[in-house]
Amino acid sequence: MKGKRTVRSLEKGRARWGWAFVAPGILFFSIFSFYPILNAFYTSFFNKKLLSLKAPKFIGFQNYERVLSSPDFWNSVRATAVFAAGAFVPLFLLSLLFAVLIVSRKRFQRTAQMALYSPAVLSSAVAALIWLLIFDPRGLANQFVNLLANTPGIDHKWLADATMVQLSTILVYVWKYVGYFTILFVTGIGKIPQSVNEAAVIDGAGPVQRFFRITLPLLRPTTVLVSVMILIQCLKTFSTQYLFTQRGAPLGPINVLTLNIYNTALRDQNLGRASVMSVILFLCMLLLSWIQIRFSRSEEAEL
Amino acid sequence: MKRIASIALLAALAAAPLFAQAPVVPELKGKSVEITIWTHEDANRAPLEKGYIEQFTAANPGVKVNYVTYPSSKIREIVTTGFAANQGPTVFNLELFDEYPFITNGRVAPVDYKMIGVKSQKDLEAKYLPGMISPVVDGGKVYGLPLELTNWCVYLNKKIFRDAGLDPDKDWPKTWEDVMAVSEKIVQRNGQIITRRGFDFRYPYYLTSVVPMVEQLGGELVAKDGKKAIVGDAAWLKVLSYFRDFGPNGKNLGSPTYTAARNLFDLDKNEVAMSLSGLYQEARMKGKNPAFYESKDWMVIPYPQWKDAKKKVPNNYYGHYYMVNAQSAKLEQQAAWALLGYMLSHGEEYLSKVAVVQPTKALMDSATFKGMPYSDVFAKDMAAAHMVYYGASSSKIDASLKEAFESVMLAGVEPQKALDKLRKDVTAILEEE
Repeated sequence: MKGKRTVRSLEKGRARWGWAFVAPGILFFSIFSFYPILNAFYTSFFNKKLLSLKAPKFIGFQNYERVLSSPDFWNSVRATAVFAAGAFVPLFLLSLLFAVLIVSRKRFQRTAQMALYSPAVLSSAVAALIWLLIFDPRGLANQFVNLLANTPGIDHKWLADATMVQLSTILVYVWKYVGYFTILFVTGIGKIPQSVNEAAVIDGAGPVQRFFRITLPLLRPTTVLVSVMILIQCLKTFSTQYLFTQRGAPLGPINVLTLNIYNTALRDQNLGRASVMSVILFLCMLLLSWIQIRFSRSEEAEL
Repeated sequence: MKRIASIALLAALAAAPLFAQAPVVPELKGKSVEITIWTHEDANRAPLEKGYIEQFTAANPGVKVNYVTYPSSKIREIVTTGFAANQGPTVFNLELFDEYPFITNGRVAPVDYKMIGVKSQKDLEAKYLPGMISPVVDGGKVYGLPLELTNWCVYLNKKIFRDAGLDPDKDWPKTWEDVMAVSEKIVQRNGQIITRRGFDFRYPYYLTSVVPMVEQLGGELVAKDGKKAIVGDAAWLKVLSYFRDFGPNGKNLGSPTYTAARNLFDLDKNEVAMSLSGLYQEARMKGKNPAFYESKDWMVIPYPQWKDAKKKVPNNYYGHYYMVNAQSAKLEQQAAWALLGYMLSHGEEYLSKVAVVQPTKALMDSATFKGMPYSDVFAKDMAAAHMVYYGASSSKIDASLKEAFESVMLAGVEPQKALDKLRKDVTAILEEE
C-alpha cells in the first residue's frame, strides 16, 4: 500500500515537472498559433478592412460565399494542388532514394547528409533570390539545359511561361527541402533492427529484395509521416511564389492559396476574405494531419 | 562695384542653405517628444534628411527623431501592417496610390499650417504647382506634403544607337511605332535569349506608365462618372496587342523577367539602349557610373505618343507625400509637421543632391532645376501630363492591369479575352469600393 502511494507521488512529481517543461511550448503555441487560428475563424464572419478604424460589421457567411464563388480562389486551389502534387512525388522519391544511398555508404555519410541538408538552412527568400539569378534568361538554367540538350540559344522561359514558372517553383522547393526529408528517412531506416537485415542476407536476399521486402515495409510509419509533412509543407509554400511574381513572373499560374491570402489581406486590405481562405487552408491541413494520425494508429495496430 | 556686390549676394544666397537655421518651435520648448519616420531607401536622400533632422533637434533639444529606411519594395507592406496593428510611425511616405487609403480610412492627420509656417490651405497651395496638393485633400483638409513628384521620360544611350547604325539625334523614337521599329534594329540575341534590348517597359507600373498609352488613343481606365471601367475597347486592344507583339511570344524585344532596364542603362554595358525613368535617375547614374553621366553619350527624350494619337498624354506623374499618423499624440504631430516643414523647405538641395523634384513654383523656376541635364524635357512632359489614377483600390486595379498585360505578353492569352477579364475585375473592384 505504502509502495503504491510512493509510486503515485513519484508519478505526480514527474507529471508536475512534465507540465513545467511543456508549459513554454504550450504558451508559445497558444499565443502565436492557437490565438491567430481562433481569431481567423472569428474574423472570417466580419467585413473587416485592414486600415479601417470603424468596428467591423458581422456579415455571417457572406465572405465564404464570395470566396467560394470567386474564380480567383479556385485558380489558387488549382495552383496549390498542382504545386503540391508536382513537388510531392519528386520530394518523396528523391529523399527516400538519397536516404537509402546514404545509409548504404560506409564513409562520408555525415558529409552527404550535410551537403543535402544545407539548402534547408537558407531562408526561403534567399533561396528564391539565388534561383531568380539562375532562371534569368541569361542565367545558368538556360545555359545548363541548352548544353545538355545541345539546343544553343533556346530560352526556356523559366519565369515567363505559365507552365515553366510552375515547374520552376517546384524545382526550387525540391532543391530546398529534399535534404530535410532525407534526414527523416535516414533516421527511420536507422530504427530498423540490423538483425532483420542480417537474417535476410543469410537467407540469400539481394539488396533490391531487402529494400522492397524489409526496409520499405518496416519504414511505413516514417513514409506516412514524411508524406503528410511534405503535403502540409507544400500547402504552406509562399516565399518562392511571392518573390518570383515580384520579379516579373505572371501571378495566375503560381497564385497559390498563401499568396492569395497575403494579397487579399495586404494589397486589397480585406482581412475578412483573407481569413476565409486561411480557414479553408487550415481545414485542409487538419484533414491531412487526421489522415496521418489514422494511418499511424492502424500501423501500430497491425504491428 | 555693382558686379562685386552681385557676386557677394549670389555667394550669400548659394551658401544660405548650408548655414540655414532650423526653427525653434515654441510649442516644443521644454517638452520631451519622440517621433519616428519610416521612409523608403535612397542612398542620396537619407544623409540629406538626417542632416536636417540634426539641425532641427539641435534647435529643439527636447525632440528625438528615429529615422528608419526600408527597401522600396517592402515599405508599403511594413507601413500598412504597422498601422493595422495601431503601431504605425509618426511620419511616413508612400506612393500616392498606396497612401490614399490612409486618408480615406482616417489614419492620417491634417497638416498643421502653423507648424509648417503657412497661414492657410490657400497659402500652402500657392507655393506649389497647380493640382499638386489636391490629391491629398479630403473634406476640405490637406493630409500630406509633397516629398517628390516624378514623371518618366525615356533615357537613351547614343553609343548603342550609333552602333546599330542609327543617328540618335534624328532617329530617336517619337511614336510607339518608332519604339518597336528602333528596338528591332538595336536588339541583339543569342538564339532566343536577348543580350541587348532596344527599349523595355518599366514593369509592373501599369497604372503609371501604360494607362497613358491607352489614353493617347482615347481610352480610359475609369470613366468620368467613376463607375464604368475600361472604356474604349479599340484603344485597350491596340495597347494589349502592342505588348503581345513586343514580348517573348511576339518580336521578343523585352520581357518583365529580364533585369530592370533602368538598372542596366546606368551601367552602359551595351545591354539596354532606352529605359523609362525619372529625373532622379540622373543622380543614380552619377553615383553608379560617373564617367557615363559626364559623357555626352546619353540623352533624355519625351514619352512617345502613338502615330494616330487622339491626344497628347505623357507618362503619368506620381507623388510621394509625407504624412503624419493621426493616432500619434498632439505634441508628436506638431513636432512632426514642424520638422517636415523645415526639411521640405530645402527643395533645391533635394534636387541637386537627390534629383527629386518637389513641385513648388520656386523650384521649377530655379536655376538649379533649369541647370539639370534634360530637366526641360521632363518639365514639358509634366506640364501636359496628369497625376496617376489614385483611389481606395488603386493597388488592386494596378494588380489587375499587370495580370491582363502579362497574360497577353507571356501566357499567350488573346487580347480580347484579357480585356474582358480586366473589365470584369476592375468593375467588381469599383463596385466594392
